[in-house]
Amino acid sequence: MLMPKKVKYRKQHRGRMKGKAWRGSQLAFGEQGLKALSPGWVTARQIEAARVAITRFMKRGGKMWIRVFPDKPYTKKPAETRMGKGKGPVEGWVAVVRPGRILFEVEGMPPAEAEEALRLAAHKLPVRTTFVTRTTLGD
Amino acid sequence: MEKLTVEAQPRSERGKNQARQLRRAGLVPAVVYGGAAEPASVSVNPRLVEKILHSEAGHNAVFTLKIQGQGETPAMIRDWQPDPVQGSLLHVDFLRIAMDVRLKVKVPVHTRGEAVGVKQQGGILEPVQREVEVECLPSDIPDEFGVDVSGLSIGDSVRVGDLKIDNRKLRILTDPERVIAHVVAPKAEEEKPAVEAAVAVEAPAEPEVVRKGKAEAEGEGAAAAPGAETEKKNEKKK
Repeated sequence: MLMPKKVKYRKQHRGRMKGKAWRGSQLAFGEQGLKALSPGWVTARQIEAARVAITRFMKRGGKMWIRVFPDKPYTKKPAETRMGKGKGPVEGWVAVVRPGRILFEVEGMPPAEAEEALRLAAHKLPVRTTFVTRTTLGD
Repeated sequence: MEKLTVEAQPRSERGKNQARQLRRAGLVPAVVYGGAAEPASVSVNPRLVEKILHSEAGHNAVFTLKIQGQGETPAMIRDWQPDPVQGSLLHVDFLRIAMDVRLKVKVPVHTRGEAVGVKQQGGILEPVQREVEVECLPSDIPDEFGVDVSGLSIGDSVRVGDLKIDNRKLRILTDPERVIAHVVAPKAEEEKPAVEAAVAVEAPAEPEVVRKGKAEAEGEGAAAAPGAETEKKNEKKK
């Protein structure tokens, strides 16, 4: 699963997800892509599940790019623990996704197949998404 | 393509408040620059700009920009800002051009045909360069460059130098050695054994924490502190 090799601090504040994704909102590598329409934390497991869904559908027939990286640690207190005694241990890693962010890109597949592959991947994600192509304005 | 005319109204006020009011009114803020004249802030109908961007020539289309009260000038779209979610236009940059001055533009490159490496060998055609920068007169800007990739096998590539162009009209500025498209062998997906995959899911390794020299010293001090406290407590008990 994806996670940073090296971090400056072990734990982070939760932060806010205001606004739109102005960076990373246009296709950069592939012909088709999956764009987020709502904000959310996408965990490393969800990214991996979506990647596997796309790769299995492609059956070696195309190329794929992951445009998000889970670089934010999230913590969780152990079960049946009283409040206090500091922040809990790191549970996993998430990517902060704002509306407009391109999550995955694919290349080398017919548009209908690419849409189906990305539809399967979208079912693994906690955010609303849409299928985009380079013919869309701005891409 | 028929000669398009885009009508623009000058705008005097600036700032996001006025820009938002314009967008609510169905217009988009724009700026016109280039040429001998001073830059001007204008507003335009986004439908006309979208029509140009979706035309065959795309963003390289030359059209007439008619600014109310300031006359007409040939222009091009230099830049545009779409909304990341809706895709609607938020702002447009127009460039005034002179029809007798050569300019630098990026022309899209499209591949044609199905490569042998894809059809028979199961490879993937990967476009690397989607645009090529050329220098030419505004009237000579091609809509696109077409590259025939039907003869490419796995490992073969088409480079910018392979493009067939009219050297009298166009000069390619992009490095001729740059690859436009190549056929690559598909990468085999490594299927991890179920046990290994389960271990990887359950126990994610902690990343290394970068520490500076000062932080280390503080960390050592902090580590020593709890020990000192316990000693004091023990003394009190005695």
